[in-house]
Amino acid sequence: MKNNRIGLILVVSSLAVIALVVGLLLKRQQTDQAEQVRAQGLGLVRSLAALPASVLLAQPGQPGVLGSVLAQRENPDFAYAAISGDDGRNLAEVASPGTVVPPAAPLALASFEERAVAPGQNARAVREFRGPLASADARLQLRIGYFEPRTPLDMKDLPFYALIALAVFLLVPLIYIVIKREMAPLAALAEQLKSADTAQAQLVELDAGQDVRDLAGKLNRYLDHTSARIRELEQDSVASMASGRLLEYGSNKMQAVLQCLPDGLLVLDPAGEVTFATGKIEPLLGVPVAEVLSQPSEAWCRDPELRAMLARFRGAGQDARSQMTIEFNPLGVPGKRLWATAQALTGHSMAYGTLVVLRDATREHLARQAGNDFVAHVAHELKSPLNVIGMYGEMLADVGIDDPAVRVEAINVIQDEVERMVSLVNNLLNVSKLEMGSMRPERHRVKLDDLLRDAWQQARSRAEAKNIRLDLQVARELAAVSVDKDMFRIALNNLLNNAIKYNSAGGTVTLSAEEGDSDVVISVRDSGIGMTPEDRERVTEKFFRVRETGDEQRGGHGLGLYLSNQIVELHHGRLTIESELGHGSVFSIHLKKMPALAEGGQVL
Amino acid sequence: MKKSILLVDDEPHVIRVLRLMLEREGYEVASANDGNEALEKMAARRPDVMVSDIQMAGMDGRELCRTVRARYPDDAFPIFVMTSMTASEERAWVRELAQVEFLEKPLSPRQLIARLTTYFANAATQENPHA
Repeated sequence: MKNNRIGLILVVSSLAVIALVVGLLLKRQQTDQAEQVRAQGLGLVRSLAALPASVLLAQPGQPGVLGSVLAQRENPDFAYAAISGDDGRNLAEVASPGTVVPPAAPLALASFEERAVAPGQNARAVREFRGPLASADARLQLRIGYFEPRTPLDMKDLPFYALIALAVFLLVPLIYIVIKREMAPLAALAEQLKSADTAQAQLVELDAGQDVRDLAGKLNRYLDHTSARIRELEQDSVASMASGRLLEYGSNKMQAVLQCLPDGLLVLDPAGEVTFATGKIEPLLGVPVAEVLSQPSEAWCRDPELRAMLARFRGAGQDARSQMTIEFNPLGVPGKRLWATAQALTGHSMAYGTLVVLRDATREHLARQAGNDFVAHVAHELKSPLNVIGMYGEMLADVGIDDPAVRVEAINVIQDEVERMVSLVNNLLNVSKLEMGSMRPERHRVKLDDLLRDAWQQARSRAEAKNIRLDLQVARELAAVSVDKDMFRIALNNLLNNAIKYNSAGGTVTLSAEEGDSDVVISVRDSGIGMTPEDRERVTEKFFRVRETGDEQRGGHGLGLYLSNQIVELHHGRLTIESELGHGSVFSIHLKKMPALAEGGQVL
Repeated sequence: MKKSILLVDDEPHVIRVLRLMLEREGYEVASANDGNEALEKMAARRPDVMVSDIQMAGMDGRELCRTVRARYPDDAFPIFVMTSMTASEERAWVRELAQVEFLEKPLSPRQLIARLTTYFANAATQENPHA
């Protein structure tokens, strides 16, 4: 294919060379002829112009020189000769057969010149030489026209041209053979190199001249080096792809881990822009992650405390030990309390920015607040009886008080207040045990009527002291229930104490128990002050106390009913309250009955 | 003429003891259960000193103090406020009120008597420096 092309190119170029040579020769010949005509024409015009017009022009009975000189010329290129006036009229003319003398053009200068006359119809182009007649009064011009030479391919030159063509043509196959011979090893080289772009590059083997062998040797070394390099690069690429995947996997895993953390994370670069944020910051700060990423803290952070901390950590001036924690209420999420810890990220003497961990501290904050409130409340509850005891004590110590009635009163009040404090402290301890989960009911089968009778006996003295009648209405044989005796006694005592405490002198308290189909209902009914429906809803809340009106002090501390309710719930029962303001209340404990006792069961 | 003291507390035992001891010291004692009752008593007769608890049902001690100072701007008789907290914790609300002092609980009646004696002695000296 390639060789064919080379052959074709050689043929075409040899033809072009032949054409060029012939063309140049023809051009040369034509130029020679034109020069010859010009010399002849101009010479003739000059010599004839020097003659007087009378000699040139034919006179009557005597032929003019012009006619006699030119009429017999055998030059085949001769076209015409004429003597013309300025008006274009020909005074004399001699023309070769079939030639029309063209009209004269006015002669501008008194000099000899030539002009080309465009060919007329069926005529040949003519070159005209002309000049003024010397003898005449310059009004006459002598014109001699020669035909422009034809393309002068002479038949006699043909063998010469053919010889040249043959010589050129004979050179072509010679050049072709030489080129082909020189190209052969290169072609083989190219053929072998084609296989070099596959992975396994083979070495080039050639049987050729010294210089091509050198080239092949260099190529071989190059190929050798290249294939080794390619193998290296391929190994590198595989290794880097593997490590890239590993890194990506590691990074994804890390991100998944960070996103799963309950804390919100922010990573800021040293300039203070956020480069990473977990989704948890939205519920914590109330700002979507999209608004935070690639933004400086001024753009998204509304909380002045957090902003101030982030500003402190901006720049590279922090060392790895610098850490700071603040606690604040985020403006974006009302009611939340957050801890934010900032830690400078440094290592290898580089500052990578700041890590900020946001932790929801709402529960801890509320617990702390509740703890503080609890302590304040208990302190107040203890201070009130202490205050009264202290004052009565001081009064008793005062020598000036010697009225026995006052002394008895003081001792009674002190005893009451001590009892109040003991009850408070006991209930506090029980509430604490209950809330710590260390108060677990040890349930045994208990005969309810005995339990109720005990509680009634215990409360009677307190009721009598306040002139309140305490009734017991319990059937002799009540179904057994499964309760923790000690805990249940606390619940009952608190209900009875309340019924007595919030009663008036002359009132009654009735402890009763009724047995239904599936449960037993224990009720404490009083004829006391009662409650509003709002108070009834809240009366089992911890530390809730009904607002007291009137003169009398009840000395409640807001733990008794809370504790009773909790204990009943621990026994899977429920405490219901009916109440009417001014008429009294009924507190009822509903307990599930125990299934029929298996033989040999123990009843406490 | 006997100096009059108005006791305001919703704890009857406190009123009882303070009344006994103050009367024995020669003071005339009136008492009220809460802020509203105290204002009624005050309308009938202005006391020379008021002694009040803070935590009371109805109108509490803080509100009572503000109302008294607003209602009788020219008669800034001293008010002793009995509190379960420390005096420093109570400073905030009392800042704009004149002549309010604190008695920390548990309260010693003898301490109150001493404070009253000092106050009346100083007041007498200021009124009549040559006596």
